[in-house]
This record gives sequence, structure tokens and C-alpha cells, in this order.
Amino acid sequence: MCWIIFFFKLITVIEEPDTLFQTLTVLVKGHDKAVLDSYEFLASMAAKELGLTLAKVSEPPKNIERLTLLKSVHIFKKHRVQYEMRTHFRCIEISKVTGSTAQVYLEYIQRNLPEGMAMEVTKTPFIYMRSFSNSDVSVFHMLKPDSV
Amino acid sequence: MIWRSVDLRRTALRTLLQLQLNMAASTFCPVLLPLSRINCKLNGIYTLISLNKTAAYSTGLSVKKTGAKTGLPQRGGKELRRQIKQVLQPRTERMAVDQDWTAVYPTAASFKADAVPLPVRMGYPVKKGVPPSKKGNLELLKIPNFLHLTPNAIKKQCEALKPFCTEWPAALDSDEKCEKHFPIQVQKKDYVFAGPSLRHPDARIVTLTVKLSSLNLDDHARKKMIKLSGERYNKDTDTLTITADSCPLKQQNHDYAMYMLTVLYHESWKIEAWEKEKTRADMEEYVWEDSPSQKNILETLLRIRPLSEQQEEGEVREELLGREEVQEYKDSVTKLKNEGETEGNMQQYKEAVKKLLSI
Repeated sequence: MCWIIFFFKLITVIEEPDTLFQTLTVLVKGHDKAVLDSYEFLASMAAKELGLTLAKVSEPPKNIERLTLLKSVHIFKKHRVQYEMRTHFRCIEISKVTGSTAQVYLEYIQRNLPEGMAMEVTKTPFIYMRSFSNSDVSVFHMLKPDSV
Repeated sequence: MIWRSVDLRRTALRTLLQLQLNMAASTFCPVLLPLSRINCKLNGIYTLISLNKTAAYSTGLSVKKTGAKTGLPQRGGKELRRQIKQVLQPRTERMAVDQDWTAVYPTAASFKADAVPLPVRMGYPVKKGVPPSKKGNLELLKIPNFLHLTPNAIKKQCEALKPFCTEWPAALDSDEKCEKHFPIQVQKKDYVFAGPSLRHPDARIVTLTVKLSSLNLDDHARKKMIKLSGERYNKDTDTLTITADSCPLKQQNHDYAMYMLTVLYHESWKIEAWEKEKTRADMEEYVWEDSPSQKNILETLLRIRPLSEQQEEGEVREELLGREEVQEYKDSVTKLKNEGETEGNMQQYKEAVKKLLSI
């Protein structure tokens, strides 16, 4: 019985208004394209299951960083060795998400991020009257009366 | 004597395992505690004690009741040999086709050749050969696998996460409505990466974009705002972009960007004393009134129809300026000067001049 009570306690509804995100862009970087493909499948399926709108899933061009080093420890300047590091990207853009949903989705995605991959999340939240920072409230007298 | 002590030990172990199973079933977590591998030295042979006769590993969260006591493995009998053979076989031999895969790989784990029933091959092939098989393959161990994230697993996990999500408000279904109600957009970035520190230096950058058409500005204020913003204003999209990155924290940069916007707004509404000295060279766009073009056209028209003594020069000017052809000419010249020379603009200018001079 105890687990049922535990489950209900997990969801609490707070009076604070939810933030709204216009877009949520997730850019994933990795060295292996196959892993990125699988991760893209995971991210897009998770978005679909949670009911989010996938605006765009794109593959920005890869970035190759090359270095040329001396092959030998001492002298032999004519003999070099070249290394390269390839970074592949995947960009997943989600439009119109609420703060709670975005938090849930991002946490799920980030917990399942494979080793050796990095992520950059770009958020564009809506700024509105009931935000708590003083700077935001002061801005609203500048807008045209019919807009807000 | 030896048998009795073993028996006691086995029952103790069995009860411990039962408790563990119960716990696993009761907690609402997808992680299964590793169960059932109990090594026991029995008669000098290392055997795996099984709770049920058939499987050495438990499947899923179901609690299998061990009703009948497992018989002791017979000394050197067929039973013992059969059990050893079963246990030494890879687990894949005993997997059903319709098994619950989420129980085999509940969380991220390395590739186990004996637990994955797929004939995977990976690696560079030997000369005149094929890529190496999965047994003892280091390449398969190195690469991150998504065996714990099959479509079924994702569906299950998302089902469990759904109660924590909220719906998007139905009133904001289109982009225009969003722009109308929330004209100011602030862009922030977060980073997830592996490194010696948790902080990313670019995480503090905040970019604020706003369309000037949504701000309460009159003509003078708008022009002054554009001049004050300089490079930050994009004429094509009518957006002002303020990037704040001088403070160490994101919230500080956000506040600074908002402050910048407020300052720009209020400064653009102010009219300084020196603004009266604005010359034609400072004007942002071409204005036809009081321009050489206007003077020229008036002179030309006056010469075509010379003044009679009764009419006043001022009145004639007003009358000439009010004429339709002159207005057309004014529009065409303003367009040419502001937008540059295009086919359409030149045509318009030509037509206006022809009309004016009645050619």
C-alpha cells in the first residue's frame, strides 16, 4: 500500500504561473554519427509521446578540427602525423512548450544522454506581467496599450 | 552434518532473496535489483543455486513463489550435470521471443553478448574474413548502446512522466497572437557536458529581441531610438537585439538587458536642446519639402506660366504644390531617393515628369 501514497505525493500543483517557452532548441554534439542518430530517435519519440510539437529536426554540418604534429620526439621535421577531431551535430527544435513539460522532457533527455555527447539548450521564455523580477515588470509601460 | 549446514544456509539465503524480491516489487522504480546470482561452494564444485528449477535469473517484476522445495542437486548425477549445462549456456538460449525486454536492460548497461540475442558483428574484418562476432568484442563494449531505450521502454517511461506535464494554453495557438501578447523575447542557453567544472562560460549570455513596432514610440522617438541602437537594430525585420554578457550571472545579465531597453526607450522620448540643430545631412530619409527639387520644379512651372500682376507669389506656390501632377512628381522623387533606383521607380519618375511638363 505504501507505494500508492508515495506515488500521489510526487505530483503537487503550485499556485505559481507556469513559464511558457516559445521555442526550445536542443543542439547535441558528438563524435559518432550512429549514436547521434539513435539519440535523435529517442528525443523525437519522447517528444511525440509527451505530446510536444517538433518544429524542426536538422543536422548542421560537421566540424573537423585537424592538427599536424611532429611524428618523432626529436628532429625529423619532414615526418609528421595528422590527427583530426570530428564533431557531428543534431538540432531538435520544439515550439510552444510549457515550463513544466519542458522541465520533464529536458530531464528525461539529459538523463539518457550517452557518454561522450554534449548538449546545448536554447530557451526563449515569454516575459509577462506576473514574473517576479522587478526588471520585467518595469518594462511593460513601454509597450503599446493594445499589445499586452 | 555437512548437508544440514548447507541446508540452513540455503534457506537463509532464500528468505533474504524473497525479501529483496518483495522490495523490488513494491518500490515504483524501473531499476531491478540484481537478483539470484548466489555462488555457493558445494562439494567442491561452484554451482549456482536456483530458486526455481527452470531459470537462474528472474524475469520482470513478478514474484515467483517457490512453493516446492528445490531438491538438493544429486551427487554426481544427471540432475547436477543438467543444471550446470543450463547455467553455463548463454542466457540468449533461454529467452522467449515475446519476453519483456525492459526487464533484461532496464537501465543503461554495457553490452553483454550473452544477454543480447542478436547476431551482431562489429569491427574491422580480418583479411578475407568478416567482422568479428559479438563474443568478447571490445568495440561493442566501447560504443554507448541504446538497448535500454527501445520504443517500448520509451513509451512506458513517457507514460509514467505524463502526469507531470502541463498543457499549452489554447488561447495562444498562433505565432501572431504570441507576438502580439509577448513582444519581448529573451533567449538563454544552458549546457550539459562532461568536464572538470559544471559551469559553462557562455551560459551567462542573455539576448533580448524586441520589434520596435510593438513599442510605444512616436516618429521622433523611433528615429532617435534607431540612431541610439546603432548596429543592434535590424532594418529589414524591425528588431532591436540587445546582448548582455558583461555580468557573471544569467539573472544579472537579464536585468541589465531589461534596464538597457528601458533606458533606450526613455532617452528616445526626450528632446534635447541641441536636436533643434538637425540639418538635412542628419536626416535619415529624404524629405521633399524645402528641398532643391521642390525649388526647381516651382521655378520651372512659374516660367512656363508667368505670373500675372494680380496673383501673389505665395498663393501661386500653394496652388502649384496642391496640383496632382506635382504630388505625383514629389512621390516619385521621394521613392527614388529613399529606395534607390529600380525599374519601377524610374518608370514612375518618367511618367510623372511627362505629365507635369504636359509632353
